[in-house]
Parts: sequence; C-alpha cells; structure tokens
Amino acid sequence: MLLALRDIGKDWLIRRTGERVSALHSITLDVHPGEFLIFLGPSGCGKSTLLQIIAGLEAPSAGEIRFPDAGGHGKLTSMVFQDYALFPWRTVLGNVVFGPEVRRVSRGEREEKARRLIDLVNLKGAEHRYPHELSGGMRQRVALARALANDPQILLFDEPLAALDAQTRRVLQDELLRIWKETGKTFVYVTHSLQEAVLLGSRIVLMTAGPGRIKRIVEVPLARPRHVTGRAEAEMLDQLDVLLGEEVTRAMAL
Amino acid sequence: MTASHLRQIASVVGLLVLWQLLVQSGKLSELFLPAPLSVLASMWEMTRSGQLPWAVLVSLNRVVQGFVYGAAVGVVLGLLAGAVSWIEDVLDPWVAAVYPIPKSALFPIFLLWFGLGDASKIATIAIGVLFLVLVNTVTGVKSINPVLLKAARDLGATHLQVFTKVILPGALPNIFTGLRLGAGMALILVFITEIEATKAGLGFLLWEAFQLLDTRKVFAGVVTFGLLGVATTWLLQWLERVGCPWLQRSN
Repeated sequence: MLLALRDIGKDWLIRRTGERVSALHSITLDVHPGEFLIFLGPSGCGKSTLLQIIAGLEAPSAGEIRFPDAGGHGKLTSMVFQDYALFPWRTVLGNVVFGPEVRRVSRGEREEKARRLIDLVNLKGAEHRYPHELSGGMRQRVALARALANDPQILLFDEPLAALDAQTRRVLQDELLRIWKETGKTFVYVTHSLQEAVLLGSRIVLMTAGPGRIKRIVEVPLARPRHVTGRAEAEMLDQLDVLLGEEVTRAMAL
Repeated sequence: MTASHLRQIASVVGLLVLWQLLVQSGKLSELFLPAPLSVLASMWEMTRSGQLPWAVLVSLNRVVQGFVYGAAVGVVLGLLAGAVSWIEDVLDPWVAAVYPIPKSALFPIFLLWFGLGDASKIATIAIGVLFLVLVNTVTGVKSINPVLLKAARDLGATHLQVFTKVILPGALPNIFTGLRLGAGMALILVFITEIEATKAGLGFLLWEAFQLLDTRKVFAGVVTFGLLGVATTWLLQWLERVGCPWLQRSN
C-alpha cells in the first residue's frame, strides 16, 4: 500500500453567511503501487479538493493521510494541473527544472534530467520555447515532465485534458498510458469523463455529488489497448453510465 | 520604408521648414518663437562652452539618484505589500494619503529638512518615483495567477523561493510599467525643483534664460529635456526587453 486515506472530510466555511458546507465526507481508500486510479464524479463532487489534500496543498478538516512506506522520503506526490500552471517567464527547460532547482540539485544534473524528461514527453527541440509559444497539448506535456522531474512516487492529475480538443485529448491519453507503463509510477487521476475513466483506469472510484463520498469502487479488468468501441468497454461504460447518471441528476437538483 | 513612414517624416520636416520660413520672413517674432536653426545654433554654442553638458550632468545626477532610491524602495515595499497581507494593511493608509499629493508640493518640506543642496531635490524625485513604482508593483503581485503559487509549493519551493522565483518575475512586467511612469515623473520633478533655490542644472538654465528673455536658450533647454525623455524611454525599453524576454516573443 502506497497511500492510505482514512476518513477524510473537508468543510468549507462560506464567509458571507457563516455557513459550513461539506465538500468531502468520510473518504477511506488505499492506493496501491503502480495502479492507474481514477476519481470519477460530477462537477462539484470535491474530487479536485481531494487531490489537493493528497498533495498537501489543502488541509483536511477530518481524517488522516498516510504514506506507510515513505521512510524519510519527503513529499511523494507531484501535481499536474488542469490549466497547466506553467511559469510564463520560464522556457520549457526552465519549467521542467523548477522542482530540482528549488531542491538544490546541481545545475548539470537537473538539466540532464530535464532533457531526458522532455524527450520522454516528445518535446525534444522545444526546450527553449516559452509556454505561450506552445499549443495546449504541448503545454500539458511540459506540465507532466515538470511533475516527473521531482521523481514522485505518485503523480496527481486534476482533469489534465479537460481544456483540450478531442483529437489532442485522444493522443495525450495514449501518451499518458505509455508514460505510466514506462515509468511504473502510480497515477491518481481526476476526471468527469466516463470514456476517459474506462480508457485509462485500472480502478475507478465513483464519487457522489456533493458532499463527495465514495459511491462505488470498480475494478477495470479490461486488457489494453482499450477502445471506446470495443464490446467489453461498451458494457463497462453502460454500467458506469447508469451510476454516474444518478449522481449527475442529484448534482443538478441541488 | 512605408508610405506611413514617409508621411510622418514629411510632416515633421514640412512643419520645421514652414516655421523657419515664417520666422525668417518676419511674420513671427524671434522673441516668442525662435527659428529651429537658431535654436540649434544656440544649443551648439552652449555645448561648446560646456554650459549645456554641465547642466545636463547636474540634473542627471539628481534624476538618477532619486530614481534609483525611489524605485528600489518602491519595488521592495510593493513586493512585500503584495505578498504579505499585514504589511499591506500597515502601508495602505499611507499610500492612500500620500499618493494623491502632487509630489512637487512636498519640495518645500524637503527644503526645510535637507537644505538647499542636492539632497532635497533627490528626496522629492525619490518620493515621486517611489509611489508610482510601489502601486504598480502591488498590482503586479496581485495579478499573478494563484495556481502558479500552488504549483511552486507543490514542486517543493520554500516561502523565500516562491517570493524570488514566482512573485518577483510574475510582477516584473508591472514593475517596468511603474519604472516608465516613474522616469517621466522624475524629469517633471527635477525641473520643478531646479526653478528655485539652486544655481545649477537644466531646469535652472531654462528658468534663468526665461527671466533674461533669452527665448532661444529657453527652447534649447526644452529640446534638451525632450531628448532626455526619449533617452530614458529607450533605456527602459531596452531593460524591459532584457528583463522580460518572454513578453517580446508574443504576437
């Protein structure tokens, strides 16, 4: 077990009314090494908040997070944000070296590592471009390389492909799977897209509409490569569609 | 060279020639509007005698010192106020109170405090630059996308590293806006502070010429101020290109 979530809850205080709103309720889950774990749920189910809590960027209101095998390892996660969150004043190379740089890795070592990762995400030749000179798909590759540069055990993805067009999304989904296999890292991936969940995930955690709870955990035993048009995939999609549909309806009724 | 460039050059040259001809034919008085060529001749004389270069040097010394002190304090306070809310709370009422005061109105106070020498002029210029740079720096810090701060922390940056590697570069474009406005302010203030209680500088030279009704010299001073303005704008644009290379390649 790589990461253990125990009874995680998160409340937001609405300052204007003084009201407390529950965003997450009693999330208990084990994340296993090397899996591709998907959090799937309607907008506003708190799945992004959960990711931020795992990343240590938000404190939970209740419960605890443990990295049982961490040893004295320090931070084990790195985040890939939906809107890339690249530093506009840094080139591709400058963005990718940021993590090692603030951890005081020597210049030669961090640049060599960054170049290797830029190669891994197929951006060779773009090292000295600025983010605004790149397409959305290329930016997300940079964000992925930047997150990998700290050598995290777990990569956290917050709807990383949501802002991209369908074609680019398909290409990057394949790339993500390739990199997941090549690096052997654990991927924890938030999405509201059913297809994406079935195409990518080895396990899908279906979340309820706010407050977010775990509605069901579904193993995805399908062989790869997967296709949305495949028969087994279609069955899985249908099954999940019903479950997710209930929650989307509930979310809209709120 | 495009047609637009040609029209611009024709406009300037045409007007200067017309002006020169009107004065030469006696339709305009040299006392009110000296001819371009005589202004040029006057500038040349004053340059050869050393009067003009000396005046420029004296004024530039005040401008540069005032600008550097004001900009340095403005950037540091602006970054701190933008990033740390209690520092903003401490500074905010003072900025709100002093910002609308024309900084030239503070000159008499600085004369009282620092005397007739350079210090009072430098202080006036520094205060004028400081507030423009401060306000723009705060705006720059606030305009940084908060997700960048999150990303930096996620990648392991300490508070100090977030400050130097995210907040400072993120605010830099606005800091340069403040510096450009501050440079303009510095030139205005050096002129005003050199009208009274001094015996040197470009403002003094211009004002003394006015009191002697030496209009050619007045115009020479105005043109020199204009050249200084153009030079500082170029210098700052160059600095911005070097300091913010990621802004240049857009479009």
